[in-house]
Amino acid sequence: MSNVLPPEPLDNESIAKRLTDEARARTRAGTLPKKRLVWLELTGCSGNIISLMNGFHPDLEYTITEMVDLVYSNSLMAAEGEQAIERLMQMLDEEFILAVEGAIALRDEGRYHVIGRWRGQELTALAAAQILGEKATHIIAVGACAVDGGPSAANPNPAQCVGLAEVVKRPMIKLPGCPCHPDWFLGTLAHLMLYGEPKLDDLGRPLLFYSTLIHDRCPRRPFFDQGIFARTLEEPTCLFKLGCRGPVTRVDCPTRLWNGHINWPIGASTCIGCSQFGFPDKMAPFISFDATREVT
Amino acid sequence: MNELAQIRGQIRVVMGELKYLTRLLSVVRDQPTKGLALQQLQSQMAYLTFLIGLLDRRAAVAETGLRSSMGRSGLPAGLGPAPSTAGPSSSTAEPSSSTAPSRTFTRAELATFTGRNGKPAYVAVGGVVYDVTNNRAWSLATHFGLQAGRDLTAEFASCHGAQQWILKTLTPVGRLA
Repeated sequence: MSNVLPPEPLDNESIAKRLTDEARARTRAGTLPKKRLVWLELTGCSGNIISLMNGFHPDLEYTITEMVDLVYSNSLMAAEGEQAIERLMQMLDEEFILAVEGAIALRDEGRYHVIGRWRGQELTALAAAQILGEKATHIIAVGACAVDGGPSAANPNPAQCVGLAEVVKRPMIKLPGCPCHPDWFLGTLAHLMLYGEPKLDDLGRPLLFYSTLIHDRCPRRPFFDQGIFARTLEEPTCLFKLGCRGPVTRVDCPTRLWNGHINWPIGASTCIGCSQFGFPDKMAPFISFDATREVT
Repeated sequence: MNELAQIRGQIRVVMGELKYLTRLLSVVRDQPTKGLALQQLQSQMAYLTFLIGLLDRRAAVAETGLRSSMGRSGLPAGLGPAPSTAGPSSSTAEPSSSTAPSRTFTRAELATFTGRNGKPAYVAVGGVVYDVTNNRAWSLATHFGLQAGRDLTAEFASCHGAQQWILKTLTPVGRLA
């Protein structure tokens, strides 16, 4: 950090980049022990690992080769079948950080989601979460499903999905979002390695990323204050009357932006509150023209 | 049109200044520099307010011009303050008049104030009916899966029991019968 000339940029991207750069420098110098990371994909759509692959500060290659030792990720690893599960189970004797994406299907003792076979037995998502959750040094719940069930637990929830915290009764870092932004995960991971657990809010989210109310940093905010509301999506004014959930969602999207910090949902449509607890059911309807329809 | 372009240009300049000053303020430790930057920030903000006022006036002029020439329905969508639903929906802006809260709503009446189809959005908590049409937590007259037009006393107690101050920020419009 000493090589940054003042004024040191304080925007979110720079903070995440500084954290990861320092983690890189210190792992290279050998002063920071490389940690093992297990990425468990449970009941979800694999969207968070895809999102992680879109990371820029740092990129994925660096993350899994230099920053941490990614020992298990069913999407990215070469091993498959029992060999892969064996690798996963070896971790039980070692120290590792556990990142979980996806919800846990509880129905019929978890049989609605079997992630592999171990010693001839089916290994359910439920069992994997319980076994690994108990042993991990730190747990990061990545994405809406792992945090509180998210879309996997949406009504009518046939597989009886729940968030990780319902199954693993331990303190954990929660990174809601559908998907989780790569910076949120990588920044948290770097913080964890350098300084330990980041400061969390009372719902378990790192304040580093989740302390901004979208509404307060929204580029369309002046229109809200003036009472100028869009009636169609193409208008550049406030989307409040169309169902924007920015006013109830806390995360740094407006300043961080997505896809390489280029654009974000409100650039084209409403915020659907994907980083808010209760998403998607409690954030519905995502969009409706009922409030703005002209009635004569 | 030229004047409009000029105002826009000025706003961009001010925004740039504001960005620079906020960044400066967040890193600078030297007290005098801080004070100076703060002063500049304030004057830039005042200038911005002025520019916005200028734009507002222009918009108002344009709107009345349009209205007289094309009639009310000819208003370009989204322009002009608080669209044509202005009547009831802008009521959060007006001071809660002493006469409004005396209105009594039956549950059936309350159920019609759903915030849809041009109606304002009302909810009842503890026997008082509040207007949440333009409340920021009630986008599209829904709040975490709850609909406007209902008595939400129990729901309010279950989530905001310790935050009674929230009710003070709402505009009461009547009582529930």
